[in-house]
Amino acid sequence: MIYAEPRFKPGGDRFLEIEFGDELNLELNFRAQGLGQAITREQVKGVGEIAPFFSSALVHYDPDVIGYGDLCRELKRLIESVASSSDVELDSRLIYMPAMYLDPWSVEAIDQYIEKINPAKERDPDFVARINGLEDAAQLVRVHSGTEYWVAALGFWPGTPFMMPLDPRCRLFAPKYNPPRTYTKTGTIGMGGGATAIYPVDGPGGYQIFARTPVPIWDMQQKLDAFKEAPYLLRPTDRVRFVQVSREEFDAIERQCAEGTYRLNIVGYQKISLKRYRAWVSTLDQNARF
Amino acid sequence: MLEVIKPGLETSIQDWPGRQGYLKCGFPWSGPMDHWSFRLANVLVGNAPGAAGLECQFIGPTLRFQRDGVFALTGADMQAKLDGVPVPAWESIAAKAGQTLEMTFAKVGARAYLAIAGGFDNEVFFGSRATFHKGGLGGMQGHAIKAGQVLPVAAGQGVAGRRVKPSARPVFVTDKRWQVEVCAGPNDDWIDEAGQQRFLSTAWKLSSKSDRGGFRLEGPEWTFTERAYNKPPEHGSDPANIVDHGYPLGAINLAGQTPIILVNDWPDGGGFINPYTVPTCAFWKLGQSKPGETYQFVQVSVEDAQAEARRITALCAESSIE
Repeated sequence: MIYAEPRFKPGGDRFLEIEFGDELNLELNFRAQGLGQAITREQVKGVGEIAPFFSSALVHYDPDVIGYGDLCRELKRLIESVASSSDVELDSRLIYMPAMYLDPWSVEAIDQYIEKINPAKERDPDFVARINGLEDAAQLVRVHSGTEYWVAALGFWPGTPFMMPLDPRCRLFAPKYNPPRTYTKTGTIGMGGGATAIYPVDGPGGYQIFARTPVPIWDMQQKLDAFKEAPYLLRPTDRVRFVQVSREEFDAIERQCAEGTYRLNIVGYQKISLKRYRAWVSTLDQNARF
Repeated sequence: MLEVIKPGLETSIQDWPGRQGYLKCGFPWSGPMDHWSFRLANVLVGNAPGAAGLECQFIGPTLRFQRDGVFALTGADMQAKLDGVPVPAWESIAAKAGQTLEMTFAKVGARAYLAIAGGFDNEVFFGSRATFHKGGLGGMQGHAIKAGQVLPVAAGQGVAGRRVKPSARPVFVTDKRWQVEVCAGPNDDWIDEAGQQRFLSTAWKLSSKSDRGGFRLEGPEWTFTERAYNKPPEHGSDPANIVDHGYPLGAINLAGQTPIILVNDWPDGGGFINPYTVPTCAFWKLGQSKPGETYQFVQVSVEDAQAEARRITALCAESSIE
């Protein structure tokens, strides 16, 4: 649902959460991103930072400069000015990420979970395929890799992307692990709720996993060209396209990344228009799959 | 310059308010947990209240002064000795080149702070010197201090013998039971009335599975409103799941049935609800409590929490020195 009026909720004495709706929908993320840009542009007094998420935004403010009530009024005004424009366009790079689907490392992590934590756990690719009405894991791979992903936010860990499929025919849902997995390998790609993410480092995790990229998304050594400006690869409003690779290609790219010679395919000049996106979506049979 | 003889337990360089401004890239602020004690240590040695100092957790470090300097210790009592002679906390002290400051376990409180005149002069990363140990960034090569390292200190003029007035210091509980302020929201409407009452009437136990990213709490089960059950599938299947959203610092993040207070090195977004948030003014209590101790949460308004934070900041100033 898209709320008729954005909802404001306090998060302690110096944070505020704005909810624009309660679903994954590009329009909601555009509102959050648009508000972030407007705050930066107008340099709203007392606002420290804003972190847009899928359908909400977290705002940090200085209560010694602006009170909660005044801040809500000011943000409401900005939200209305953003919403009243007939279109919002956002800069968006397109990044091609090599990915090996149904990879051995995910299988290993799932095996470990089944053996040590939950013997009844259905294997992630089969499970996600089944609950989404797909034929099998092979179709899951086709559907999951058949769309561009919108980087709606970075969070949880520095540089970790929260992504949503732009093509509604590739929408998938999956519950998170309960209890969570204790181990996931760096670069593992998975999904939870309706979101897709890439694990930036080895660690625990709750997403259903079924692919892995050899390209780092977080590198404090900033070895690759794409990390020149920051230790993270992706930025909010980027798009990611997963390109299927074989084990041999995976290993070769991994080597090149370690040497610092791998060149990512990044298309840098594009803009995404909400109006044109809506027009395109309206032409689609949303129940179709690939 | 301070040479690290023994590092203590994950002792790290922090500054205040830390690495702000990069939440949208997923960076936590880090910084000292007990910012009240931390700022007073800096004021004692003549630094700006937020200058980089050391946070010592549970077991303090042993450090050797490579040149003369004025330092101050605040927060937990780690029974510090300078060349074997006990030194008081909440007071600025002159050390000579070659002297060794030895700290041991925290007798009262959990975190001690060491400020040194001039402040630590480690590299600034994304606007701050604070350490995000788990993330491998800031501080000394991204991590807590290690034996053999030399911690760089900027030039500074400190005066020994300055004390913090007792009335300006935080008072740590001695019966292991803390009363911690909490504000309702952002997701309090996901918890039913019985659940809200249960939250506020329980003495929640701080789990040993806690670190500078999150404080896990042990206590009763949570119960939910209709909103937690009737929701679109992208929220996830657990009642505590919500479409991934940003987490405020201090959020009481409900991971299934386990509440986790998100503290300084927190993951700043994810798919669980945050029914309550611990405000700035209560963070010193979190910083000074040990696993096994309990929190009784006291609900306050946003405005009252802001006023209390203002009162503490006013105390972290020259007027508190005698």
